[in-house]
Amino acid sequence: MNQGPTIFLGVFLTFASAWLGLVVAPYVQFEAQRSQNAAKVDAPPETPMEGLAAQGRQVYRANGCVYCHSQQIRPENFGSDIARGWGPRRTVAQDYVGERPVMLGTMRTGPDLANIGTRQTSAAWHHLHLYNSRITSPGSIMPRFTFLYEQRKVVGQRSSAALTFPPEWDVKPGYEVVPTNEAKALVAYLLAMDRSRPLEEPGP
Amino acid sequence: MSDQTISTAQTESQRQAFARQRAAIDASARWPVLGFFTGSVVWLLVGTGLALLASIKLHSPEFLDGPSWLTFGRIRPAHLNTVAYGWASQAGIGVTLWSMARLSRTELRYPRLLMFAVLLWNIGMLVGTIGILAGEGTSIEWLEFPAFAPPFFALAFAIVTVSTMVTFSNRREPHVYVTQWYLIGAVFWFPWLYTAANLLVIYASVSGVSQASINWWYAHNVLGLWMTPIGVGSTYYLLPKVLGRPIYSYQLSLLGFWSLALFYNWAGVHHLIGGPLPAWLITLSIVGSVMMLIPVITVAINHHMTVLGSFRQLRYSPTLRFIVFGAMSYSAVSIQGSLQSLRTINEVTHFTHYTVAHAHMGAYAFFTMIMFGSIYYIVPRLTGWEWAAGGLISFHFWSTSVGVLVYFIALTFGGWYQGLDLNRADVPFMTIVRNTLPYLQVRSWAGILMAAGHLAFAALFVMNLLHIGKQRSGPTLFFDRPDAATLTVIGDASGRTV
Amino acid sequence: MTLAYIVIFASFVLFAISVVFALGWAMSHGQMQNFQRGATAIFDPDEPLGTRTDSFPGSATHVEPPPEGSHE
Repeated sequence: MNQGPTIFLGVFLTFASAWLGLVVAPYVQFEAQRSQNAAKVDAPPETPMEGLAAQGRQVYRANGCVYCHSQQIRPENFGSDIARGWGPRRTVAQDYVGERPVMLGTMRTGPDLANIGTRQTSAAWHHLHLYNSRITSPGSIMPRFTFLYEQRKVVGQRSSAALTFPPEWDVKPGYEVVPTNEAKALVAYLLAMDRSRPLEEPGP
Repeated sequence: MSDQTISTAQTESQRQAFARQRAAIDASARWPVLGFFTGSVVWLLVGTGLALLASIKLHSPEFLDGPSWLTFGRIRPAHLNTVAYGWASQAGIGVTLWSMARLSRTELRYPRLLMFAVLLWNIGMLVGTIGILAGEGTSIEWLEFPAFAPPFFALAFAIVTVSTMVTFSNRREPHVYVTQWYLIGAVFWFPWLYTAANLLVIYASVSGVSQASINWWYAHNVLGLWMTPIGVGSTYYLLPKVLGRPIYSYQLSLLGFWSLALFYNWAGVHHLIGGPLPAWLITLSIVGSVMMLIPVITVAINHHMTVLGSFRQLRYSPTLRFIVFGAMSYSAVSIQGSLQSLRTINEVTHFTHYTVAHAHMGAYAFFTMIMFGSIYYIVPRLTGWEWAAGGLISFHFWSTSVGVLVYFIALTFGGWYQGLDLNRADVPFMTIVRNTLPYLQVRSWAGILMAAGHLAFAALFVMNLLHIGKQRSGPTLFFDRPDAATLTVIGDASGRTV
Repeated sequence: MTLAYIVIFASFVLFAISVVFALGWAMSHGQMQNFQRGATAIFDPDEPLGTRTDSFPGSATHVEPPPEGSHE
């Protein structure tokens, strides 16, 4: 009169089936795609971002940018992502191969960033925007990332990396704001974000 | 159901035996369950503080900004993890342990090991939360704790599962009540989920969109196969216990359990509709999400018909208020969830504050409120002390129920309009941002109301632990007294209130 | 890709079999009989049917045992 084993078996098999379908199967499928890609001559590189941009991905991750920004373009007839100029086509699995972590995002408190590297090519703009988004975009609710910058006294000549502010936002005379390495990495990451290359073959 | 023709003495000795049994069971569960509940209350307060911070920062981005650990992108995941794993999961474990012991009519097993599990869980919470605020968060939703935290939870959870199952296997009650099925499911499903997701995503570092599908399979199943079974299961036990009436249809409860087990697993990927995943995978999850209507409607009918005719009792029972509110919210949020997974609706609501409202309807209006109700029932039976002030309980109920409803309405409307505008390419993005601000501000006010309720709840909890208020009277406590064996029981109503 | 389809369908079939098995087992072991007994298993002579077991502290109906020998 012991239902324990039955309940266990039922629960186990339910779970196993979902695990297989939703976890193992896509994993197998995508990993197969990854090795296929590597075999092709002109395939997208395994880790598309190197160096500073790859470091920048970690800054993006550490500061939770994903909680306001998505990185995925929906198809043409499903939402207005393409019409808004966020990308020329929908994003597919190939666009995220090798990314760790992949930060597709589920909120658009801020705009989608899947192709921000093609839309905004000015590092100077990004630095101002990160330092205080309301400088470049009045009405923005993005947080200030002043902790990624250093405000310091000008010693001798002004640093070439120093931010140039519009007059009403300028720091006090004799001071300059320079990006830390983290800020430089983050901007490199944003400038490198590009998922607009034409597809070699239709996605699955 | 005792037969009136049985002699009074025989009935009375039967009654004493059951009262003694129940007292012993409650006593065995005392330390572990109160341990988990204490942890849950502490993290409820921490998580509420983080919630208010996050909410205010959205409409007032320069509020308390400066240091990196206060940036919205770290506060927000810290909030999610403290309320999900610190508050909700610990409350759920406490309820699970006590309920399994009660329903099995046997003492809770391995109480000392469980106390160790309490310690492990809360250490994990501390290091994980500090990790997120320090910038070590993974940015994988619901799995943000950095790699050094999950082992604490995995080990603690193994202990909880073992204790629950050993308690169950030693049951004196031959019938396996529906709540027990749900709880067995929960303590089996969640560790599997947690281990698989962490291994693949954090330790093996699966990359690309495989990570996304694993991520959302896990995240949604925390709601569906961990919180839902505990919440629904607890309702199936406490509703009839409080009312003194059995569940309306037991067959229906079977249907509800197995259909939940069948369909809820598949629903997780609906978070990625329109995203870079194969169409068949996404379609499957939409199908699963819609099929969830079966268990949800089943449970709704069952609970409603059980309470029907006794709604007047809501005036007299704190537990009933919270649980009925929670059960109704379950039906509402689940039907909403099924609808949200349909492509037409999803096209508007995806990426908006609408989803946040839905999440809080589930995790708060459903699960948290049922946990409040369950804790109000369980704690006096463990401490032997009554809640200090009925007025504070009432305040807790009204502030949290009104608060979460205002929250839900504000962000549902705000999110819907946000979504409609997002889909019109000619509406400038900044205009959309500006239009969401009033709704976000209302949400902060609602949050303050809910926080006040949490403070009242925490105060009541501490007062009960400190034995402030009235000692609990009633048969359970009576038989706890060391001299109980030598006392004569007077077999009428006034005697039992001593 | 084909592997994925095989795995999915196999798991669906496996699951369906387990549900059928579990239900069949339950029926043959009397779990599907006497739902009245099942639903009332949570009551006992000390907290019988008809007794409410929760109330606000300090209220007049704080402990509400039924009058001797009666059920609501």
